[in-house]
Amino acid sequence: MIAYTIYLPQVKGLLKKWSMDLQVFVPTMVDDGFYEFKSWSDDIEISWDYDLCYTSLKKFVLPAQEDLISFDMKKYSAGAVIEAPKQLLFGVHPYDIKAMNQLDQLMDTDSVDVNYRARRDNTVVFGLERVHVADTAFWSGVEADRVDHGYDLYWTRISPGAFFVQVGSARGEEMLTMDGPVEKASVAQKEAARRSHLKVMAKAQKNTLNFDWSKTPDLVNKFFNNRTFWREKAKTCLSCGSCNLVCPTCYCFDIKEEADDLLQNGRRYRQWDGCMLSGFAEIAGGHNFRSSPWERYRHRYMRKGKYIFDKLGELGCVGCGRCVRACTARIANPRKIYNEIWEAIKNEV
Amino acid sequence: MKSKFSPYVPRPATLVAKKELNEFVTLFEFAQDSGKPLAHRPGQFIQVSVYGVGEAPFSVSSPPRTDHHHFEIAVRKIGSVTNALHALEVGNKIGIRGPYGSYFPMQKFVGQDFLFVAGGLGYIPIRSVLHYMLRHRDEFGRIILLVGTRNPGERIFTDQLAEISKRNDLEVFETVDVADDTWKGNVGVITTLFPKISINPETTSVATIGPPIMYRFVIQECSKLGIPQDRIYVSLERHMKCGLGKCGHCQINGINCCLDGPVFCYTEIAGLGEAL
Amino acid sequence: MPAKPRVAFFDFAGCEGDQLQVANLEERLLDIVSHIEVVRFREIKTIKLDDYDIAFVEGSITRPEDEPRIKEIREKAQVLVALGACASIGGINCLKNFINENEYMATVYGDKGRWYSTYAARPLSAVVKVDMEIHGCPIDKNEFARAVKELLLGKIYRPPDYPVCVECKMAGNICRYEQGKLCLGIVTRAGCGACCVTEGSVCWGCRGLLPEANMDAAGQIMNEHGFSWLEAQDHLRLYFGYNGRL
Repeated sequence: MIAYTIYLPQVKGLLKKWSMDLQVFVPTMVDDGFYEFKSWSDDIEISWDYDLCYTSLKKFVLPAQEDLISFDMKKYSAGAVIEAPKQLLFGVHPYDIKAMNQLDQLMDTDSVDVNYRARRDNTVVFGLERVHVADTAFWSGVEADRVDHGYDLYWTRISPGAFFVQVGSARGEEMLTMDGPVEKASVAQKEAARRSHLKVMAKAQKNTLNFDWSKTPDLVNKFFNNRTFWREKAKTCLSCGSCNLVCPTCYCFDIKEEADDLLQNGRRYRQWDGCMLSGFAEIAGGHNFRSSPWERYRHRYMRKGKYIFDKLGELGCVGCGRCVRACTARIANPRKIYNEIWEAIKNEV
Repeated sequence: MKSKFSPYVPRPATLVAKKELNEFVTLFEFAQDSGKPLAHRPGQFIQVSVYGVGEAPFSVSSPPRTDHHHFEIAVRKIGSVTNALHALEVGNKIGIRGPYGSYFPMQKFVGQDFLFVAGGLGYIPIRSVLHYMLRHRDEFGRIILLVGTRNPGERIFTDQLAEISKRNDLEVFETVDVADDTWKGNVGVITTLFPKISINPETTSVATIGPPIMYRFVIQECSKLGIPQDRIYVSLERHMKCGLGKCGHCQINGINCCLDGPVFCYTEIAGLGEAL
Repeated sequence: MPAKPRVAFFDFAGCEGDQLQVANLEERLLDIVSHIEVVRFREIKTIKLDDYDIAFVEGSITRPEDEPRIKEIREKAQVLVALGACASIGGINCLKNFINENEYMATVYGDKGRWYSTYAARPLSAVVKVDMEIHGCPIDKNEFARAVKELLLGKIYRPPDYPVCVECKMAGNICRYEQGKLCLGIVTRAGCGACCVTEGSVCWGCRGLLPEANMDAAGQIMNEHGFSWLEAQDHLRLYFGYNGRL
C-alpha cells in the first residue's frame, strides 16, 4: 500500500491545480445540518466531517435527465449523444463508493451502458474516512463500512491539519503530486488512520442489522408471500418514489423524447424512475403488474435484499440511510424491515 | 459525437406493406434500409421508434428469414406509438433496435409434437414460431394450434388461418369467448378447446402466449394432459423500455423480461411470484 | 385533423394568466405557430374566427350561462384542451364553494351581488368531455409547447402521474418536511419541475391531486409532522377544492 501525508495548506494548492483540468465537487453544508457535494471554488467551506450528503452521488454518473440520442424526423436518422464531463468527487464516503462500484457492475454487465461508462471513466473519486455517522445510517451492518477499490485516493484526517492519503490508482497518485513533491506517510500516521477508522466504526455500532447481512436474501425470500406484513408496512406509502430517487444504488429510468419547435429534430433522453411509482410496471393497455403500493414496496425490499445479491453477491443496500430520511411516511427503512423479518423468523433460518 | 456507438441508436426501416387485420389491429411489413435480414429468432422482440412520438416494444410476427430483409409486426391501436404506426403510409420510415430477448429453442423441438395455445394478440408472436415450423415441416411431428379470441370481430390473420386450416399436416382449433351471428365455431374460453384434442404427453411441447390472466389456466390444462413443466414455454409481456436489462421496467421478481425473456420455459418462472 | 390545424383560445372564470404564459413563449411561439393557424387568441391578436380544430380553454365554469358556451366550443372543436388549474381542476375559484353564497356575493360584489348570476365553481370536465389537460397555476410554458407539439404529431399529451416529490428529488431540493414546512408535493401531480420548492417556497398543489393519491396517508403524515387538520385543510382547499376526496 502506497500512502502519503498531505497537510491542510497543501490541499488548497492541489484543489486549484485539479480544478484547472476537471470540475471538482466537495462536500459542503447547504442548510443547517444538510450537506451536499457542490462545485469547488476558493470561497467554499469544505465539510470534512459531514455525516451524509443529502442527495446521492449517482447524479454525477447517472444524471436525473440525460440525452441518449438525437434524431432527424425528416431524414429518419439518429446519432448517439454521449456526454462525459471530466470531474472529481473529493470526499466520498465508503458506502457511497460501494454504491458506485455496484452501479459499475450493473451498468457494465450484459450490454455496457455507454453513457454511464463514459461519465464514469471521466470521474475521479477521492474517498474520505467518516468522522460522524448519520442517525439514519446503518452501513456498518451491510458490509459497507470500508471499500478496497473504487477510489483513486482515500483520505483520512489524522489531525486537524493532516491527512493520511492512501493511493488507489496511478491516476490518483499522479494528481497528488501535481503541485510538487509530497511526503510519504509514516507507520505512525498509518496507525493514526486506522484508529480514526475504528473510532467511527464504534459510533456506527448503534444502528445496524441484528444478524449477519448475508442471511438477508434468504430472510426476505421466506417473507415474500407474507402479504399481511407487506400490506401493513405499506399502508401509508404515498408511492412518491422518494426512497428510489435518493438511493445511491437505484438506477431505473424511463425513456422519453421531445421534438424541437420546428418538428424537424428531436432528442430522446432518459430520466430517473422508480419501482415505487404507480405506473412503473404498467404495460400498454393499462395492465399493471404491480398495481398495489404493497407489491411495489415489497419489490423494493426484495430488490435490495435478494435480487441484487443473486446477481452480485452483495446486498443492493449500502446502509447510507438516505431513504429513511427521505420518506415522509417514515416507512422506508431497510434496517428496520430486515430486522423485523429476522426477529419474526430467525428460528427458521 | 455522431460516430460513437450506442445501443440506443435505432436503424432505419421502411414500411413496404400494411394490411388491416381487424378494426384495431394492423399488420405492418417493413424492410431494413440496410438491406440485411433482421436476423431474429422466433419469439424475439424489437424496439420500434416513431421519432417525436416514442419507442415501444413489439414481437416480430414473421418467421426468421435469411434470404431477405423484410419482417412483420402486428400492432393493436392502444397508445401513442401504436396510433402513430397506424398513421404511417407505405414508404414512411421508422427506427428499429434489436432483435432482443430470448426465443423459442427450435432445435429442442425437432422430432417433437407441438401444441400452440394462442390467446388474442398472443397469436402474433406464436405466428413467428408456427410459420418457422411450417417452413421446416418435416423436422417436426404433429402440430396442433389452439386459437382463442374474445369475439369474432377481434380475430386476426383470419385469411391465413383459413388457409393453413386446410393443410392435413396441421390441426387447428378456434374459439371465441363471446359469439355473434357470424360465428359458427366453438364458444368459450381457450381452455374449452383442450377436451377436443388428444396428444402424447411424452412427445409434446407447448408454446402458449396470451393475456396475463390466461397462463395459469392453460398451464393447468397442460399439466392435466401430463405434459411436463420443462416442455411448456410461455412468452410474457412486460414494458421493456430499454431492451438492455437496465431501465428496470420489465423486472419480474429479480429477472429482466427483456434479457431473460420474453420466452421462458415454465420451470424458469414457476417459482417467481410476480411472473404469472 | 388538417395539416395545419386551426387553434382557438377561450376563457371562462380565470385571470388569463395561462394564455399570458403562452404569449411568454415569445420567439419560440413563432416556430410553433408555423405548424398551426391561430384563429382566436385575445392576448396576441384581434381577429376572431369561429372555425377551429383545437380549442384551448382557460378558466372555470362558474355561471349558468357558461354551460351552453363551453358545450358549443366542445361541439366545434376536435380536441378540447383544459388550460390551467381553473379549467383542469377548478382551481382557486372553488374556494368559494366552501363559503355561503350570500357571503361571497357580498364580499365580491357588495350590495350589487344580486345583479350577478354565479354558482359553485367547477372544472370544464364537470360539464364537457376534456381531451387533454395542461395543469398549473399558471401553466408551465414549456409543458404547453410540448403538449402542442405532441398534439401535432398525433399524440395526446399526458402529464406525469407521479407526485412533485419525484421532481424535487431530481432537482436536489431539501424536503420541506425536513424543514418543518407543510408541503403538498406529496400528493400533487408533477410536471412543473418542482418549481415552487426549487425557488424556496412549498408546493401549493396547483397541478391537482395525483390520480392515485393516498390521502389517508397524507393526512397522517401531515399530522405526524405537527400540522393540524385545519392547517392542512386550508392548504388543500386552495387548489383541490373541487376534488371530492377532500
